[in-house]
Amino acid sequence: MAGFDKFAERMARGVARGTSRRSLLAWLGAGMTGTALLPALPVARASTHPDAARPEMTSGTPQDPGNPASCDYWRYCAIDGFLCSCCGGTVNSCPPGTEMSPITWIGTCTNPADGRAYIISYNDCCGVSSCGQCLCNRNEGDRPQVRPQSNNDYNWCLGTESSIYNCSVAAIVGTALDQPK
Amino acid sequence: MRSIGLSLLLGAAVPQSASADTRKFPTPLPEEVLPNVAVLPGIWPKSWVLIHDLNFASILDGKLALVDTRSADRPLKGLVRAAQFANELVAPDRGEIYTAETFYGRLTRGKRTDAITIWDMKTLQPKGEIILPDGKRQLSVTYPNVFQFTNGGKWALVANFTPAQSVTVVDLHARKVLGEIDLPGCTQIYPSGERGFSSLCADGSVFSVTLDDKGQAASSSSVAKVQDIDRQPLFGTPAMVGRTAWFVSYYGMVQGIDLSGPVAKPLPGAFSVDKGDGAKADGGTPQWRPGGWQVIASDAKGLLYVLMSPNGKEGSHKDGGTEVWVVDPVKKARLSRIALKGQGLAIAVTREDAPQLIVARADGVVDVHDAATGAFVRTLGATVAANPIVITVP
Repeated sequence: MAGFDKFAERMARGVARGTSRRSLLAWLGAGMTGTALLPALPVARASTHPDAARPEMTSGTPQDPGNPASCDYWRYCAIDGFLCSCCGGTVNSCPPGTEMSPITWIGTCTNPADGRAYIISYNDCCGVSSCGQCLCNRNEGDRPQVRPQSNNDYNWCLGTESSIYNCSVAAIVGTALDQPK
Repeated sequence: MRSIGLSLLLGAAVPQSASADTRKFPTPLPEEVLPNVAVLPGIWPKSWVLIHDLNFASILDGKLALVDTRSADRPLKGLVRAAQFANELVAPDRGEIYTAETFYGRLTRGKRTDAITIWDMKTLQPKGEIILPDGKRQLSVTYPNVFQFTNGGKWALVANFTPAQSVTVVDLHARKVLGEIDLPGCTQIYPSGERGFSSLCADGSVFSVTLDDKGQAASSSSVAKVQDIDRQPLFGTPAMVGRTAWFVSYYGMVQGIDLSGPVAKPLPGAFSVDKGDGAKADGGTPQWRPGGWQVIASDAKGLLYVLMSPNGKEGSHKDGGTEVWVVDPVKKARLSRIALKGQGLAIAVTREDAPQLIVARADGVVDVHDAATGAFVRTLGATVAANPIVITVP
């Protein structure tokens, strides 16, 4: 956790450079916050066409196993939203035409290939309407809005030119010092 | 044989001779007056509800569906725009609907404008708007308690999230913004007292603010330890019985908060929805827990209806429920269980003489039950909204 705290501090300072004092205070008050938006609701799943099955994607790297178009992919352990891999972007890049949110929620996911715990940044991609493909949502650990850092119902397209939500990435931004349990 | 069968089928589809038809119907249908736009009654029947369609596939084009829950063949009466994570309020006494919305000058880009739009309940036409300053309105999946009335319905309160938290005070009568109240660490708006509101805070407390006649904070106070966010987190949307807000926790504990005075007062004696018989909401297998989006509703008699799932586990709290449990918060006892036809996400009870339980399901279907008996009455099908998520009984 020490590594995570250090990382959080660095991120918070990064945010501080670009925002007002007041929003920084709110940010710090909220903790390292901010789920990558979206309706973790079965209703959203129901809206997906039954023929939406798609060929499997791979990272091409044995050390990064799994299908980035599938909700089961290891990096998505705490994601909420449309997967950018299905939207013209990749697991770590936004689709062309969008803007990546600078404010994100960060989770820790274990890579089954190397057993390391990675810090994953769930940046939202903003400025283009809902991607509508590959909705992935999990609510383990989700808490009411009263605790923003663990609520996935906020739209985290904040600090961007536009608050319109398109999709979410899951980028590796570091490794946690703690070994996985 | 196959070709003969096909010919016969095609022959059957060909219209018969015109002369035979005109003999049967000697007078043509009358010409119809155009243009022609349907008009609603000035006072909506009590069977009508508003169903919020978040419209995941295009969130910027969310809408409210006006639904006649007693009409199986024409339930959708009309739509009201509810753009980009909008919220809504209804004032039947003034014949107005209010939507708090967000827009961009070029649909997805350009200048951001946040506004409250005022709609006429009879025509569903816009009749005014109030611009909200600074583009900071809270955008999130539809929570009714981020846009609320206060001061007898003359004012509205709008939650902001940048992620700095605050509340904008709006005079609906004068059509102007009065002020902004900082709300660090607290969220959701529960109108309290004559003129003010309470919010739930990240430390588990409830924070109450009274407003002066200019819309500025006059006083504030806090009551600690109202909820244990780790062990008994409360769903943010309560059911109202008079001025008492009844919250339910992820594990089925019911907690009342009295909002009649200037300071929110948690009621002693939280109780479990399973009280009254053996089916547990907080233990055992299967583990019944509340699940869905709008999981608790009240009726005119003050009974509570809680949407329950038998598959309760960590992370299941938004998955929907297959039963509604009817609870008397005075007796702290469960009265009955209502089996649903599908996986419900949102529930509400109409204020009709014979109240109906309205259930919006995960598959978009809206079902109607007799609230008194629980009996299934009719389905409206998946005919009113793509993603029905919150039901408002005006």
